Parts: sequence; C-alpha cells; structure tokens
Amino acid sequence: MSFWFWNGLRRGIQTTRYPKSMELERGVSPGRPVATSFKSSAEAEQAAGQCPVGAIVARDSVADLELGRCVYCQRCHFGARYPLDWKYDYEWAQIFPGAQDFAVLPKPYRKSLHVIVVDAGDCGACLHEVKQLNNPLYNVHRLGIFFTPTPRAADVLLVVGPVSENMRVPLQKTYEAMPDPKRVLAVGACAISGGVFGRSAMSAGGVASILPVDLEIPGDPPPPLAILHGLLVATGRKVPAAGAQVS
Amino acid sequence: MAVIRATDPPAERLDREALIADLQRRFHCDVAATESGTIASIRVTDLSELRPLCRSLFWDAGCGFGGIVVEERPQSWEVRYIFLARFAGWIEVLVSLPLSATTLPSISAEVHAADWHEREVEDLFGLRFEQHPRLGDFILHDQFWGEGLAPFRKRFDISKAHSNGQNNVSWRPLLVVRDPGAFAMPVGPVYEGGIGESVHFMLETVGEDVLRAIPRLFFNFRAVEKIAEGKDVGQALLLAERFAAKSSFAHSLAFCAAVERISGVNVPLRAKQLRVLLSELERLRHHAGVIAGICESTALAVSAAHAAIIEERLLRASCCFTGHRYLFGLNIPGGLRRDFTEQQCQDLLSAVRLAAKQLETLEDRLSFTSSFLDRLEEAGVVAPETARDLNLVGPVGRASGCGHDLRKECPYGLYKQYEFQVPSEKQGDGYARLRVLFQEAYQSGTLVGDLISSLDSGPIHAPCQSRQGFALGWVEAPIGATLHWLRLGESGLVERYRIITPSFNNWLGFHVAVEDFAFQDFPIILATFGLSATECDR
Amino acid sequence: MYGVTQGLLFLFFIACACGIVLSASSRGKATLWTIAVFSTVCALALMAAAALVLISGQAPEMRLWTLEGFGRFTLRLDALSSIFLFICGLVYLPASLFVARYLGHRFEERYPARRFGVFHFALMGSVVLILIAHDAYSFLISWECMSILCYLLVNYEQNPDTDTRAGYIMLAMSEAGFLCIVLAFVIVGRGAADFSFAALAAQGLRLSRGAIWGAFLLGFLGFGVKAGLVPVNFWLPRCYTAAPPTFIPILAGVTLNLGFYGILRLNMDLAPAHGWGTGLIALVVGSLTALVGILYATTENDMKTMLAHSSIENAGIIVAGIGASMVFRGSGFAVPAAIALTAALYHTLNHSVYKTLLFQGSGEIEAATGTREMDRLGGLARFAPGLSVVFLVACLAISAVPPFNGFVSEWITLQSLLRSAVLASSSVKIVFALCGATLALTAALAVTCFVKAYAMSFLGIKRGDWEPHSIKVFGHSHFSSVYLAIACLLLGVLPTFVVPALNRAVEPIATASASASLVPPFFTATPTNQQLPPAFLQDFHNLGAQTGSKILPGRGLVLLVRGAEQNPVVFAMSPSYSIVALAFLLGLTWLIVRGATQARSVARNELWAGGIPRLLPEMSYTATGFSNPVRVVFQAIFRPNIVEDTRETVAVHFRTAILRRREETHLVDRLFFHPVGDAVNWFARLLAGMHHGRLNTYIAYGLVFLLLILLLFRLT
Repeated sequence: MSFWFWNGLRRGIQTTRYPKSMELERGVSPGRPVATSFKSSAEAEQAAGQCPVGAIVARDSVADLELGRCVYCQRCHFGARYPLDWKYDYEWAQIFPGAQDFAVLPKPYRKSLHVIVVDAGDCGACLHEVKQLNNPLYNVHRLGIFFTPTPRAADVLLVVGPVSENMRVPLQKTYEAMPDPKRVLAVGACAISGGVFGRSAMSAGGVASILPVDLEIPGDPPPPLAILHGLLVATGRKVPAAGAQVS
Repeated sequence: MAVIRATDPPAERLDREALIADLQRRFHCDVAATESGTIASIRVTDLSELRPLCRSLFWDAGCGFGGIVVEERPQSWEVRYIFLARFAGWIEVLVSLPLSATTLPSISAEVHAADWHEREVEDLFGLRFEQHPRLGDFILHDQFWGEGLAPFRKRFDISKAHSNGQNNVSWRPLLVVRDPGAFAMPVGPVYEGGIGESVHFMLETVGEDVLRAIPRLFFNFRAVEKIAEGKDVGQALLLAERFAAKSSFAHSLAFCAAVERISGVNVPLRAKQLRVLLSELERLRHHAGVIAGICESTALAVSAAHAAIIEERLLRASCCFTGHRYLFGLNIPGGLRRDFTEQQCQDLLSAVRLAAKQLETLEDRLSFTSSFLDRLEEAGVVAPETARDLNLVGPVGRASGCGHDLRKECPYGLYKQYEFQVPSEKQGDGYARLRVLFQEAYQSGTLVGDLISSLDSGPIHAPCQSRQGFALGWVEAPIGATLHWLRLGESGLVERYRIITPSFNNWLGFHVAVEDFAFQDFPIILATFGLSATECDR
Repeated sequence: MYGVTQGLLFLFFIACACGIVLSASSRGKATLWTIAVFSTVCALALMAAAALVLISGQAPEMRLWTLEGFGRFTLRLDALSSIFLFICGLVYLPASLFVARYLGHRFEERYPARRFGVFHFALMGSVVLILIAHDAYSFLISWECMSILCYLLVNYEQNPDTDTRAGYIMLAMSEAGFLCIVLAFVIVGRGAADFSFAALAAQGLRLSRGAIWGAFLLGFLGFGVKAGLVPVNFWLPRCYTAAPPTFIPILAGVTLNLGFYGILRLNMDLAPAHGWGTGLIALVVGSLTALVGILYATTENDMKTMLAHSSIENAGIIVAGIGASMVFRGSGFAVPAAIALTAALYHTLNHSVYKTLLFQGSGEIEAATGTREMDRLGGLARFAPGLSVVFLVACLAISAVPPFNGFVSEWITLQSLLRSAVLASSSVKIVFALCGATLALTAALAVTCFVKAYAMSFLGIKRGDWEPHSIKVFGHSHFSSVYLAIACLLLGVLPTFVVPALNRAVEPIATASASASLVPPFFTATPTNQQLPPAFLQDFHNLGAQTGSKILPGRGLVLLVRGAEQNPVVFAMSPSYSIVALAFLLGLTWLIVRGATQARSVARNELWAGGIPRLLPEMSYTATGFSNPVRVVFQAIFRPNIVEDTRETVAVHFRTAILRRREETHLVDRLFFHPVGDAVNWFARLLAGMHHGRLNTYIAYGLVFLLLILLLFRLT
C-alpha cells in the first residue's frame, strides 16, 4: 500500500502556476472567436450568417460577438468561408451585463471561499469542467477555494445549465439558503443565455431569469481555468475580462 | 405475471428472416423492410397481439430491446418498438393508432426494460398504457406539474413558458417499503459538494441497511426531442451533441448517421476512419473519468488523483487535436468538419499511449490495494439473468455477462474492419464493472493506434442534402447503445427526433437491480454504474 | 409525636373510606372532585406521617384486635415503612390529580368514574396496609387485596381482547407469587411465638441455613413477581401496555415498590442471610433484569411498553443495589452495605418520581394524539411546549444526567459495586465487576433509549395523521407534572438531605449509618468539634465544602465515602455545587455568545434538505431507524423472526411493495414463559387423557393410588 505514497511523491508537482503566472500548456483552453474585421460589411454579414445561434453581429465591416450566446461550435472558424480570428486564452469571466452593481466579495473571502455548484439542466460539460478544478492539475484548494455540499456554508453559487423547469425550485432554494454576502456566477453559454436550449416551457433560458447574476463565464464549456478566473474575479484577486464589446 | 426464464441470449447470429417468417405465421402482422433495408418492420394489426409478439421477440428469440419511438403523425399515432436481432440487424414492431386513441397495451410486464419508456410516453404524450402499474409523476414531477400536460403533442407550443412554479403541497413520494418504522433518506438534488448531477434519491430504510434506492430523475429535462422539432439539421445537430457532453461525439455521430441514412450519402473513408478514432478517444476519456469517480467514491485519494490527471491530460489532448475538449462541433452530416494533420495524429497517439500505460499502472496498483477491493467486491451485484431481464447495456451490462455491443452485433461505420475485443465478466459486482472499464479503455487505446497507422488520405466530407424520410442511427456510446431516431419533413426540417440513451436504460436497471445494501456503499455502487443523469433526462 | 402520627394515619383511613363511599354514591363531576380532594388529603396525610417518623426516628405501633388462632393484628410505622409510605404519598398526590383531570377529559360519557374511584381508594388503603402491617396475616391479606384491586384496575377500561388477557396473566402471576410469599413466611414463622413481625424477626436469627435459603428463594421469587425481575416479569410489559393511563402511574410508582419492600422486609429485616450467596443471586438477577429491560426498552416503539421495559430496568438496578447490600452485610462490611442499601432506596424513590411523570406524559400524549407509536409521533414540542419541557426533565433524570435525581442514585449504586474491592473472595469480586459492567452498559443504553423517546416524539416533523390542534385541549403542562419535575430536580440537587432521611431505615437493617459515611457533617463539624479527622476536614474546608452552610441547614452538601487513613476519600461529589457551577457556566457561555454575536444579524431560513421543495414526514428519522443499530448489535438476544419478508412485484422489474414485519419473542417469554406454559399444557393434556368418563377406570385409578400410598407408607 505504501506504493501510493511513493508514487505520489515521484510524480512531483503537476499543478498549474495560475494565477501567479499564466498557464501556457496547449489544450487547457479551446480558445474562442474574437471580433474580426472584414473587407466589407457584406462579408461581415456573411460571416455573421455562419453562426447557428446568432451570436455574431455584423457592425459595418466588423463581425462582432455576443459571447454569452456563443456555443463554441467553431463553425465560424474551421471550414468557414469567412473565418473569424481565434484566440487561445481563458480569462473570460466578465461582469454580467444585467448586473446592477457588482462588487467583489469582502476581503476575508480572498483566502477562503466556499463554492456550491448547482447543476440546473447542464449537459455535463460545464459541470465536469468545474469538477476538474479539484483535480491535482488545478487544485483550487491551494487558493483557499473549497466546494461545499451545503449552501449554508457557501459564498459563491456556480450555476451550470439553462435552468430546467424541474430544477427551478431547487435552485431558488439553494440561493435562499445561502448566507449573505453571496455572489452568483453563471457558468457557460446555457447558464448565461440558455445556449442551444434557449427559452422554452422546460428551460428558463439562463439563470438571470431566476436569480440575480453577478458574473458570467462564457464558454461551452468554459475550461477549468476560465471558471477559476471567475472565482478569482468574484473575490477581487483578478480583474474581469474587458467584455464582449471590442472596439 | 410473466414467468421469467433466465436464459442466456443466444450468442450466435440470429436468422432475422426466419424469425420474421415465424412471427408472421404465429401473429397477424404485415412485414415490410424499410427503405435502407437495415430495419425490418413488422406492423401489428391486432393490438392484443402486441404483448405476445414483443415477448416472443425478447424472450424466445433473444432479441435485445432498443426502445419505444412514439410519433404523432397528422392522422395517426405511430408507435415503434425497436428490437435488435443480434448480429442480424434491427426489427421494429410498428403499431398505428388513430389520433383519438388514448390507450395502448403495456408490454413492460413482458419486456421489463420497456417500463420507463412507457412511463415517459405517458408523461409526454398522454398515451396511457393499460395495466402499467405506475404511470405519472415521472418526467414531469408532480410537485410542479399537473397531469395531462402532454408537452410532446404537436399542439403544445414548447417555446412558450407554461404555467408552472405552483408547489403541489399534497405530493407524496411513492415508497415501496412497508414497515412501520420505514423511512426514506432524501439525497439531492443538490448534494455531493454540488458537483454531482441533479438527481434525487430516496433511500428507503428501516435503519442501517438501505432496502431500496429510488432515484427521482429528470431534473435536467430540457425537452431536447421537442425543441429539435422544426429546426434544420445543423441546428438539431447542436442539440444532439450538447445534451450529454460526456458522450457528445457518440450522440452527434448517431444523429449524423440517421441524417446520412435518410439522404443516402456515402461518407468518405477517411471521415469514417476518423469517426471511429474519435469515438474511441471519447470512450477512453470517458472510462478514465468513470474510473476516477470510482476511486474517489472509495476515498482512495491518490488513485483518484492519478485517474483524474489521466482524464484531464486526455481532455487536453482532445483539445489540441480537435479544438474542443469534449469533441463538440466535429461531426457534420456527410463527414467531419475539419481534418487533422499527420503531426496532430502523432501527438494524439502519444498522448493516448501514455494514458493507456498510466491506466495499466493504475489498474495494477488498484488490484493490490485490498482496502479498495474490499469496498468494490460484491458491491451492487447484478446477476446475469437480471442484466438480461432489464436489458442492461454498455460496460455495466458486459460486467454481468450481458454484452450487447453494437460495434460487434450491428456494426456501423468501419467497425467491421478493425480487430478489437469486447470484454465480458460474469460476477456483475462493482469490481467486475471496473475491470470491464479498464479493458475497454485499453481496447480503445489500441484501436486509436491502429487507426492512426492506417489512415486513408481522402476527403473528409461528402456533401449531404437533407431529404424527407426517417431513419435510425445507432452508436455504441461509452455508456452503451444509443439510438437516434429521426424523421425529416419535406423542407428538411426535423419532424420527430427521438433519443434513446444508454443511461436511460441503465438507470432503470440500477434502481431495480440494486437492493439491500449498506448506506455507505451507495456512492460506490453509483460510481461503478457510471451513469449520467443528464443523458437520461434529455 | 406518637399521637400526631397515629392521628395522621387515622385521617388517611378516614379520608380513604370517605373516598370510597362518596365515589360510589356520587356521579359526574362530583366523583372527579371526590377523587381529587380525598386523594390529595390521603397523600398529604401519608407524607406528613412518614416525614414525622423519619424526622423523629420513632416508630408508632398500633395493636389492633386479636383473632383466635391467628394472633394479634399489629400496625407499625417503622422507618422502612415510612420511606415507602412517603414515596406512596409523593406519587399518589400528582397521580390522583392526573386521574381526575384525565377522567374528566376522556370518560365523562362512556365510563362512569365511580367504579374507578372506589377501586382507586381501596387500592390506596390496601397498599398502605401492606406497608404498615406488622404481622404476617394482615400483610398477606392486604397483599391479596392489592393484587385483586390491581387486576380490576388494569381491566378498568375493558378493552376487549388484549387487556383482559394481560390482566389474567398478571393475576395468575400475582397469585403464584403470593403462594411463594406465604410459603416463605411459613418457613420463617415455623417455631415462632406468633406471626407478628417482631416474633418473626426474633425467630429469623435462629433459623437454620437451609431455612434461610428457602425463605430467600421463595420470598425473592414471590416478591420478584411484583418487582418485575427476570424471569418472572413477563406479565409486566403486557399489563402495563394494557393498563389505562390513569392507573399506570400508580402501577409503576407505587405497586412496583411493594416488591422491593417485600424483599427488604423479609430477606433483610426478618430473616437476614449470613453468607454472601443470597445477595449474589439478587445482584446477578438484578443486573440481568436491568440489561434485558433496557434492551427491550430501547428497541420498543410503543411508548407505554417502552416505559414498562424501562421500569424493569430500574427494578433491576434497585435489586442489584439490594443484592450488593446483602453481600456486604453477609460478609460483615456494614458501611458498604449501608451505602448500597441507601442507593437502592434512593433509586426506588427516584424511579417512582420520574416514572410517574413519564407515564403521565405518555398518557397525555396518547389522549391528545390517539397514538403511542413513536414512529407516528414527532414534532410534539411545537404543539405542547410545556409537556415537552417536563417530559425532557423526566428523560434526563431517567438517563442519569445531572443535575437530576437519576444520576445520584445510579452513581451511588455503581460506586457501591466498586467497593467490592474490600471483599475477600475473588470470584465474588469478579461477579461484582461483571454486574458493574452490565449496569454501566445499561446506563448507556438508557441514554439511547430516552434520547429516542424524547427526540422521536417531541422533535422533528409530525409523522402521524393525528390533528395537532387536539393536543392544545389537553396537552399543556399541569401541576401534577410540574410538581414531579421539580421533585426530580430537588432530589438530584440535594441528596445530602435525602440520605440522612433514608438512613433512618438503612441503619437498623445494615447495622451501620450510611449518612455518617456518605454525608459527613461538614456544616456542623468545626476544627474544635473532632467528629472528623482534622487533616481531612481541612482539605475539604479549603475546597469550599462548607460554603452552603449559611444558606441551608443540614449536614453538608458533599456526598462522599470516607475510607481508611491512607485513602481518606473513596469517592465524592456534590450535585448541589455542581448545579451552581453548571448554572454559572451556562450563564457565562450565554453572555459570551451574546456578546460575540450581538453585532451580527441572524437570518433564519427553513431547513436545508438538498433543494427539494419540502421535507416530508416520510423523510424523517423514525424511532425504529434510530434504535436499529442496537437491534443489530444485540441480535443474538433479540433473535428477530422475520415473519414476513415479501417483495410484491408486478414483475421482476416493478416493486410495488417490500413488506417487512419482524416479530420478536421476548427473551423471557422464549426461555421461561413459553416452555413453562408448554409444560403445563402438556401435563394438562396428559391429565385430560385420563378422564374419559368410564366408571371402571376411575375406580381403577382409586385403587392404584391407594396401593401406591400404602406402598409409600410401608417404605417409610
């Protein structure tokens, strides 16, 4: 049985250095499209038409993005006639457009943050990426971030999924059971805008229709480091991304 | 009550034509082969014969049960019971009913795996199954929804929010343990550090041991099948690959297979090869994830960390290879969206080989860790006859000696041309399931290697015009057989999309097969089944 | 003094007689008032008379008439009688008020309370007569009256099937026990001048070893029936379950004690044993009784039956104390004997108080909710907060949690068992150690049992379909409950005042003073007054042993056992100081918590249950679930029979019901009652086989027997 111990030692530290320094290994993020300038507005219109969910908006000759709607299907990049530029980063968390006055959590939460995750109709990808934060490659415990099974001890609510009708009440109850101060993070396109599921009788089309959302982490799914960035933004240890509007 | 005989299904190839001829002799039915010839269709004219006919198919002939596809046509209901004649293609039993009909005979007393299908149909279409012991309060939880909503009927407008949110205070859980001191421990839907999927369990007990675990699923029900209706193929494809991410490639492949079958497109060889490659990559990654979950459930932290690292490395390799960690956006009807360079393939190969090697080391260590084995052995035993009875699929079924594997039994894509083993165990306990997962992961690793060494250098995509028609697409997803039944209308829009997932099958099996266990074994048993709630809920 | 005591006793009998007459002649509310008023007078008279005797130390004796051939009937109120008489009065006071209130609420129409009143007063009279009888005849006659009245009262509600059967079993067992008692008295009284207790006591000193053993075994068996000892207690749970709520407090608080009284009177006062053999039997039987009682109490879900099993447990502890005392005295250790006996008497007193309270509580719960099943109760604290508090006090007391009374007596009992170190024989020491361990286990299980009883009934969610508002009619707390709850507290806080009173009875029996040992006279001892060694006194003086002397009169507030020179204190504790410290600490904690959290706002939210809309009663812990671990651990004793374990299915895949029904045959039933019953039946069948109505055969029987007898005489 001691081989577990020795084996663990032999492997050495594999944990990422983020947020002290950026993680540069390939594959930690699928990247995302960025606003791209085209030769003409017609081309930009064409480029916008490639998007199956209408996340690309043509503004003159620039194809701009509504990242909250983007489902990262890559149809505007790979094999596209008018490909958008692609950027491999992961600091994506931004203040939710509808959030009235976002304030970071008070200082004590910087080194001790308890997080509860609610799967509100998620496909499993965002949830799985959140779960990856616990594995040794990310190991968020080193940053004082802990996942907790009870909302009583939670400071941050991560919501994944478009909020299916059957999860509406559990989600509300979870939020109500959390003590103040608390922040709500919408993780993934579904939680932000409903994603491919949209708004229907069975899906609320995003968390914002039920709870006041503070931060959004776009992506389908956002990679673990993007979610970690969101948690760090909530505590004021990182600044939010500039937002979708790129001039 | 049906007398269940614990017969092993015949392993040899079934003679579908002889079987159908026999059925034709015994029952009043018309037989027609569907257009693509993959499905033999039996139309039942006398409803009272439905049950004996299904029974005959499932028990006497030893067919596997696929699922029920209900479709509301303009003039009639069409209900298809899909069976798999092993190694000989599909058989569907078709029942047409006038639209005014509200009841159907229930076959679940004979074919037990049909139980949840019938409950689902009742909840979503309002069709009642005679003699089914418990209908209602299934997908639409009675706490929130009234009866008689039937959201999958054509007349129901899914895009509008429906009156909901009322809390039905008179709702009571349906419990089965009748003992004066019995109670149910409620678990979920928000539990397990919140990182678990939304499932609610009622663990029925009289103290100490749990007599019965009743899962309450469908918290993640997003009505994918319904909202796909009226969308074009490209849009529906987004849904197909995004309703269950852990096997998203398998689902998008099954969807594309259905579309391709309707259109009659011939997918280029390279695309076929890459599809197999990506399927196996997904299987490897999925199994690594399930193994990590099993290690975690036994609180063996180091092994869980190792397995989680393997999984994350595979996710990163997938991302480098395809541009997406969960293989979204690759499949399109007619082939693949993007091609890969030789260098990318070699990188992937080395990552996969490393993962397989690390998994082997992990398995070796685990098999010497007695505290780990003690908790897995004889945990959640599913006897082979139970597995057959409940039509368990995937690694769970194979661990109980009930090994339907569509890659062998009804090969699709290029699987016929590649050598691989389908592992099978008899014990049916948690450890057997773990061994099957490891073996399948190795097989997948080998297959990826074989494919990369033999890749064709052709196009990866053939143009695909959507046509009117319907077809079944099937794929052996990592969790088991998944079927996507699709009907496209005149304008190429989706008219009916039915997804039959392996988790749906195995959740039913899980809650029936697992009785009388210690409370602390519950997370372990659950982890060894590797179930996905969101795949089940759709 | 003499005159006053006798006057009080006279008053009691007058009030009792008036009660009988007025109950019989009145109707409706008047009967209830009769019961309430005259019982109160009776109880107060009893307590006053007993207290006078205990304070003065004088035993008034009343010689009644002489009956030819039987000797003189004598009544005497000595210290032992007074203690039991005091307990009797202490219990009768609240119990009678409870009876009146209960009958008023429940049986105005259906059952006239008259008959109950008559039986009630008659039983009270006969119990008092048993306690003050000073000759075998009046003792036995009153005992018989008491047995019959108990039977009548158990069957008072006349529930058709179970109750009558339980009553019959009780009556049969009482009669069998009575027979044993009579035989025991015959053995003791053979050769005595007459059957007065004084003559018997004189004769007791001259008895042979065999006679002492005979008297002990018969008396222990006979009185053991009443005291609920294994293996002759199988009537007790049945009967307690069947008895009406109005009668059980009396059954548990008064008549149960008569068994202990009998054992003490016969086997320690009249015919004391010399060696340690008899005492050891009592000790072992007591310990086993305690363990068996608490095991069944813990797993029982019917509140009344649970309390009945718990009574058995307490009886076991008391008898274990008596047994230890007998061993010590038989081995010539008077002081430990006195301590053990004090513990037993103290526990008798305590048990009567809290068990009366518990049975009253269960009666109120049953009346209000219509059920006694703890699986179906729950959440009562919200509907009946007052009842909840007094019930909690009783539960804490019976679980031996300080500062309540159960703690003191169980603590002294266990400590006195530890004193077995002084004994010579190591085998006896081993038995003591085992019995001590058994009692410790019993105490631990008692906590489990009553945590369950309180938590499953009063906390959590309402599980049954009873109406919550109905409890408001009846379930609020009442004088009778509060009175007993206060008694629980006082008896627990001020043991140093109780022990000297008990000592009046202990001293003549154990031939040593328990209070001299247990309650050294700190308050009255000064360095000049050399009642205690000065060094010893100094130590305790510095520790504040005399702090309370200014406030409270008495000997002191520390309970301790003095040892020899090298080990001056064997064990010591002071519940009186403890409660002050406890109150201080609690107050301090409260202040600190308040101070620390004053700035915070406390948000209250409903219970978190994983996000489900509502936590339902089906999802809350049941009493069965709570005690199931005990059931599993002690499976070898319970030997549950799974009577029914069916899985109802429509098909293999579809369970509609899993039916589980266990049936447990009580250990005593299994090992004793059923075999004996079977043997009797077998014998009866054998006899019945001989009777087939043919004259010739009967003549042949006569002839054969005549021959046999002749042969017998010839041989002897």
